[in-house]
Amino acid sequence: MNRTFLIQAMLCLSFTFGMVVPVFAGDPQDQLRETTDKVLSVLSDPDLKSPSKAKERRERIQKIVDERFDWEEMAHRSLARHWTQRTPEEKREFVPLFKALLERVYADKVEGYSWNKILYEGETIDGDYAAIKVKIFTAKDQTLHVEYRTLKKGNHWLVYDFSVEGVGLVNNYRTQFNEIIHKSSYQELVKRLKTKSAQN
Amino acid sequence: MRISFGRLLLPVLCLLILSGLAFGEPAAPIVYSLDSSACYQPPDLPILVAQSSKPSLKEEELALEEQPDTIADPLEPVNRIFFNVNDKLYFWALKPLASGYKAVVPEDLRLGVINFFSNLTTPVRLLNCLLQANFKGAGNETIRLLLNSTLGLAGFLDPAKTELRIEKRDEDFGQTLGFWGIGPAFYIEWPILGASSLRDTFGYAGDLLLNPKTYLIRSVPVGLAIRTYEQVNETSLRIGEYEDFKRDTLDPYIAKREAYHQNRKHKIKNR
Repeated sequence: MNRTFLIQAMLCLSFTFGMVVPVFAGDPQDQLRETTDKVLSVLSDPDLKSPSKAKERRERIQKIVDERFDWEEMAHRSLARHWTQRTPEEKREFVPLFKALLERVYADKVEGYSWNKILYEGETIDGDYAAIKVKIFTAKDQTLHVEYRTLKKGNHWLVYDFSVEGVGLVNNYRTQFNEIIHKSSYQELVKRLKTKSAQN
Repeated sequence: MRISFGRLLLPVLCLLILSGLAFGEPAAPIVYSLDSSACYQPPDLPILVAQSSKPSLKEEELALEEQPDTIADPLEPVNRIFFNVNDKLYFWALKPLASGYKAVVPEDLRLGVINFFSNLTTPVRLLNCLLQANFKGAGNETIRLLLNSTLGLAGFLDPAKTELRIEKRDEDFGQTLGFWGIGPAFYIEWPILGASSLRDTFGYAGDLLLNPKTYLIRSVPVGLAIRTYEQVNETSLRIGEYEDFKRDTLDPYIAKREAYHQNRKHKIKNR
């Protein structure tokens, strides 16, 4: 009697897991949550809190974020119509420069605001596109509304844009890049990006 | 003795208020986000159904790539000058003051001061909620005023938020005008006041009429001193954000302008 129950329970379990896991693995919000949880655990790690460990902490955060953020997609979208006018070499040069800048932007935000708690407010899936709304409570009693935009590539929902209080990252850089290219040139934009990454 | 001290004090106060107001309107939440407790609305539950009439995410993205959503800026040359003025005011006056103040006053007290001033301006938010037919928001603001003025020790604490989770409705007259369909027209970078638009400048003037402080404080120097103190206090909690913002942008003026525009749209939408 006991044994049949056990077998039934195991069957049930394996059935449930078999069913549930693939569904949840494909869920954009859960994938994002996994990344954010990892970032938060690095931020709250007492061993990494001292100023001497600041560089190591940043590198760890960047590594986690790299897996979830699609820098090329972001770079492409930020250059918008200027992207197609670039040669493959120019694109290869641009993406890492852009990535270096954006990694720092992201790390500045998570470290500066010291995220306390994150509330996931739901996702909107639209084919390969998904928007995930998040509410972040910071240590200083602030509430930030953040929205992540992701695009499905294989089994991964990769972030290609995010906005804080309505201010979209890609849109903001797109306008800056567009202005610089219009007023001077693409070469000037690359020069400025290089100066920025040298400040690191 | 007193008079000569007063004479000396006035220009200094003027300078302080100038600098103090410089970043009165947070340009970008990327940058500043202290007043980011903007109206929170729970997401519509049947998300997929509710969105079906709107353009899809993909269409939205494609449209933005074709035609970036930006704000008109016919005054750009003048705006850029004032942007630089405000930038200098921050680094030369506001930041040193706020840093000194921060070193002396504990953070909890500084947060309390923010709550206190915010509680005083409740009528502005309440009336703007009503003007946008947002009765729930107006009700929340009323409860917050009653609760925080009493149990919250004259507004220094925010038990409405911490205990009851009733958050501030960050409404102003510029948002009310936006809600009724008035666009921002064009961007204005005011010296001292910072980022604004033609619509939001009218909104700012309207809010002054609704602000109890306008009527409570009759003396101009006292008003200036209070406003300056308020700004120094707020800045003390945000030191470093503007610096980060400048480091993270290639053209800080454009970045500030666009962030202002997007943030205002977001606030108007999230009534």
